[in-house]
Amino acid sequence: MYFSRKTKLFLQALSTIVFAFLYIPLLVILVNSFNPSKTFSWPPAGFTTTWWGKAVENEGVRTALLTSVKAGLGAMLISLLLGSMVAFAVARYQFFGREAISLLVILPIALPGIITGIALNSAFRTTLEPLGISFGLATVIIGHATFCIVVVYNNVLARLKRVGKSLEEASSDLGAGSWQTFRFVTFPGIRSALAAGALLAFALSFDEIVVTTFTSGAGIQTLPQWIFDNLFRPNQAPIINVVAATLIALFALPVWLSQRLSEGAASGRI
Amino acid sequence: MRANLAPQNELRASSWLHRHEKSRLAILLSAPLFWLIVAYLGSLFSMFISAFWSVDSFTGSLVKTFTWENFQTLITADVYRRIALRSISVALMVTIIDALLALPIALFMAKVLSPRKRQLLVVLLLLPLWASYLVKAYAWRTLFANGGVLDWLLNPFGLGTPGYGLAATTIVLCYLWLPYMILPIYAGLERLPNSLLEASSDLGAGGGRTFRSIVLPLVYPSLIAGSIFTFSLSLGDYITVKIVGGKTQLFANVIYDNVGTAGNLPFAAAAAMVPVITVLGYLFLVRRSGALENL
Repeated sequence: MYFSRKTKLFLQALSTIVFAFLYIPLLVILVNSFNPSKTFSWPPAGFTTTWWGKAVENEGVRTALLTSVKAGLGAMLISLLLGSMVAFAVARYQFFGREAISLLVILPIALPGIITGIALNSAFRTTLEPLGISFGLATVIIGHATFCIVVVYNNVLARLKRVGKSLEEASSDLGAGSWQTFRFVTFPGIRSALAAGALLAFALSFDEIVVTTFTSGAGIQTLPQWIFDNLFRPNQAPIINVVAATLIALFALPVWLSQRLSEGAASGRI
Repeated sequence: MRANLAPQNELRASSWLHRHEKSRLAILLSAPLFWLIVAYLGSLFSMFISAFWSVDSFTGSLVKTFTWENFQTLITADVYRRIALRSISVALMVTIIDALLALPIALFMAKVLSPRKRQLLVVLLLLPLWASYLVKAYAWRTLFANGGVLDWLLNPFGLGTPGYGLAATTIVLCYLWLPYMILPIYAGLERLPNSLLEASSDLGAGGGRTFRSIVLPLVYPSLIAGSIFTFSLSLGDYITVKIVGGKTQLFANVIYDNVGTAGNLPFAAAAAMVPVITVLGYLFLVRRSGALENL
């Protein structure tokens, strides 16, 4: 239409190359998890499932996985609550400083993770430790929730703006109380956006390592931390590779689901 | 019908809430703002303050008296200036390469493909974006290894893996942040009306001319929005360079090492100001482009 055939072919060729660039490393991980060579000599000389068996039995992996799931769920719940509250305030009210809120919410993810990490680390040391709360799962959850708020906020805000106010007004004109309006009108309208935000928040938390490093203390270890700690030990390489392959496969799920739930609303946003 | 009406006391509460809009707003905003302003901005501020403290070199304890010492060391020591310059050039390089890769692919997705295929490609882009950061960096470590996939691919051409170093770090950072560049540009292009492109080609412009005179100026804010991500993320990264950088040091490593092994938190806080100020400076430079509304 607007592009000549030559331009289209050029764009298509480039896009194919870029997508190959994006996917080849991930595919190599998947293939290498069945590579019998401990140093992943390429091309693989055979096929083995030994590493998968060893990874499943690995105590460190299992503990770290459990910690990551707990941290992810905690961060998800807090950010779901806080993120949707801010989104409601911004979408439905006029107030001083409304424009600044988006900036405030995005700041924890826009600033480099190491900055958020150090800032929270020194703040926890001075405020929480005197209260008897030491570094551990709680501090990790606080840190993760801080940067997860933005994904819930973005999803819920976009939905609230699209749904509009008229149905809620109709509901209260017809005699429904605030709670009834929320329960029967607002909530069904934003349910899928909440779910999409929650999934993305969980995924974001599950993957995070930098803020985690500074907020976890010595006692606990999330899965990314376990991977990083074992990365430079040649003996552990095949097991790390299996964990990595599993994570690649697992991550496809929440992204696909959240895309379905938000009908592409989140596509342009992080 | 009566059963569907709200009970009396709930009605009273909700009509009170209805009349007091300010209270509703206060209830909604109190907890999130406490979290973000008191806890988060408060932490950032206290870190900023601690950048002016020092550490007693004998006891290793914090000395909470004001000093410019950390900043003086940062500015005068040759090694820090070199590392800072290296980090900023890597971040700029990553941003430019990603922009060059992202523009054609976003254009292809938004303006050439059918809507159904377009959705599929968006999902295909989001998948690697959400796949674990660490896993992706690790994947490249195995690609770059001696006797790894890159060697196998390039050896027939007389080339080989560049090995772990600055080049590998730049490539991996480009890889990691590419979707962050493609997605905003794609969203910007989707908003660009097709009629403009049709008008341009009706008036006799070729693909290249349309791209330069129509697409590029209109998609510029989205491009800048993407560059904020690629620039800031590259500047704050210390993990990738540890995984594929060999002995290379970037500025975030200086911060990290001072928190960890050196245990000099005030110096780390002062060093952390360098990326913060650089990113804020970048945001200030691009604020007029309208990019901040495109984040």
